[in-house]
Amino acid sequence: MGWLIDLIPLDYSDAVVVLAAMLLGITAGAVGVLAVLRQRSLVGDALSHAALPGVCIAFLVTGAKDATTLLAGAALAGLVGALLMVGIERTGRIRPDAAIGVVLASFFSLGIVLLTYIASTDNSNQAGLEKYLFGQAAGLLERDVAVMGVLALVALTLVAVGFRALKTTLFDPAFAGAVGLPVRALEIAMTALLVIAIVIGLRMVGAILMVAMLVAPAVAARQFAGRLALVIPLAGAIGAAVGVSGALLASRAEVPTGPVIVLVAVGCVVVSVLVAPRRGVLWRARRLARDRRRILAEGVLVDLETAIHAGPPLTAAELALASARPARALRRALRDLDRAGMLDRDGERLYLSRPGAAAAHAVLERRELWAAWLEHGPALGVPDAREPDPTDLRASLGDEYADRLHALMRAAERSP
Amino acid sequence: MTDTPTPALEIRRLTVSYSAHPVLWDVDASFPSGALSAIVGPNGAGKSTLLKAALGLIASDGGQTLIEGRPVRTARDRVAYVPQRDAIDWDFPITVREVVEMGRYAATGWLRRVGRSQAALVDACLERVGMTGYAARQIGELSGGQRQRVFIARALAQQAPVMLLDEPFAGVDARTEASILKLLHELRDEGGSMIVVHHDLATVRSAFDWALLLNVRVVAAGPVGEALTPANVRRAYGAAVHSEDEAQASWAG
Repeated sequence: MGWLIDLIPLDYSDAVVVLAAMLLGITAGAVGVLAVLRQRSLVGDALSHAALPGVCIAFLVTGAKDATTLLAGAALAGLVGALLMVGIERTGRIRPDAAIGVVLASFFSLGIVLLTYIASTDNSNQAGLEKYLFGQAAGLLERDVAVMGVLALVALTLVAVGFRALKTTLFDPAFAGAVGLPVRALEIAMTALLVIAIVIGLRMVGAILMVAMLVAPAVAARQFAGRLALVIPLAGAIGAAVGVSGALLASRAEVPTGPVIVLVAVGCVVVSVLVAPRRGVLWRARRLARDRRRILAEGVLVDLETAIHAGPPLTAAELALASARPARALRRALRDLDRAGMLDRDGERLYLSRPGAAAAHAVLERRELWAAWLEHGPALGVPDAREPDPTDLRASLGDEYADRLHALMRAAERSP
Repeated sequence: MTDTPTPALEIRRLTVSYSAHPVLWDVDASFPSGALSAIVGPNGAGKSTLLKAALGLIASDGGQTLIEGRPVRTARDRVAYVPQRDAIDWDFPITVREVVEMGRYAATGWLRRVGRSQAALVDACLERVGMTGYAARQIGELSGGQRQRVFIARALAQQAPVMLLDEPFAGVDARTEASILKLLHELRDEGGSMIVVHHDLATVRSAFDWALLLNVRVVAAGPVGEALTPANVRRAYGAAVHSEDEAQASWAG
């Protein structure tokens, strides 16, 4: 472990913290994905709260204050909490969310009572247990970090080795059972992995906020990756980045590490939920606005094209009246069309320019093709799973079928 | 009649109950090999439960399942299963190709890479359900019918002689239903045994070979023409329209 710490270009105590935060981030990020995809994020919350009395009892029993001993207690308490949750659920009368609530509240209360009791005793060792509430990275020993490293290695190896089985179970438990996977055992294993991640993070992030390190990297990674084999490593990387930057910030500002790490993590989530391509809120809003604008402009094009056949060219005001569009929307569409060079004007009156007329005809053809699909689609006998996109049937069905649709339509027109 | 071939799926004395309430009661059923069979019955008749319990996915109170004459535990490689799609999280980060590859995991081992011959097999399965152009898509981007095609491709990839499908036509457009039905006929003609949970009697009458009419108990079983007589259908569906008490009385005998 020493050489790793030497590799980090920081002073010794910072290097230990950075290494620990990295181990925590990678493990919690990777394992958290499994919990988030099972919609079991709050199990992680309950387990980290349940770990607190374990820390206290380990202290009372052994009198030791080193992180490794206390975290062993945390692991045991976490496992007991996990079993209790499963047990309560199995009674069949209590739903999972209620079981989570019961375990979280009761274990955490017990932890607080024990913490208070320990603080009231005259044990000179007792100072510092409250670190496990909000987390404190400073003061971690190289030895503790070595234990964390082993735990992280075990957890990540299990995820890598069991990857296919885990993926199948997460995606489709019924199918997983039918091909002979031990679905129950795998679900228990995933809970055990959560406990490992919590044990690694409890000292640094604290019982109350640990859930954020499980959930936030997973949510952020999912925004950018579309395959589980990418989401898991990406979540690990995000977790590591968040953990390291948060831990360093906290030690500079001399505040508890947990809240700082969590704030950084939440920042990552907010950014990814906003800007991620395809899934991001802003990305989708922009696309929706663009589509609406295009549809509006196409509608006005068609209005102008049909108006030509009905009488003299319209003014903008007449067009608004005839097409029943809000004046503002119409002005905007006309501006867009002007910019695209699709309009000519004669005083107040509007004409379609040559490209404008061509565009209007293209829109009309697309609409006609869609009507033809609805009427003659079954007769086409499209052999595969291609599905028509109403905005562009030709592209979605292919030229061959679009042409055949045209032929069918013409044939139907000739023989009414 | 002395040399009857081994049935594709045989269920013996299967009973399943949820909190002391029987969902399936003493069901004996046998589905012929090389046929397209249907499990039909009213809502709540236990059709899906029959498949799940037969595969050991839910606990049963007793009973035995044989796939091609062997206990299901030792015959997992002989049966492919297409589960209902309503419990799936469609936002799951997975591509169409990966879903179909899942059908190969049990055969290739849960650790090894998907090799070239496996990849070719996956391609062939995608081709067969008309989804070749969609391999790289996210499963959530597909329509209901396309998703069902992918699940069937995954079952094809298992290369098992017996295929169990749970409501494959639910939430599927008419075009997809027709092409899935055509595919099932092709598989049957190649010697496969297809067993389909379905609720539409008309389709079963016109397109299936064999039917099991179920309402908690077996009402009738046999070639479609013999099993789905008006009298049998009334016996299966009639109880469901009466009050709960009468329905219970009818199975309590």
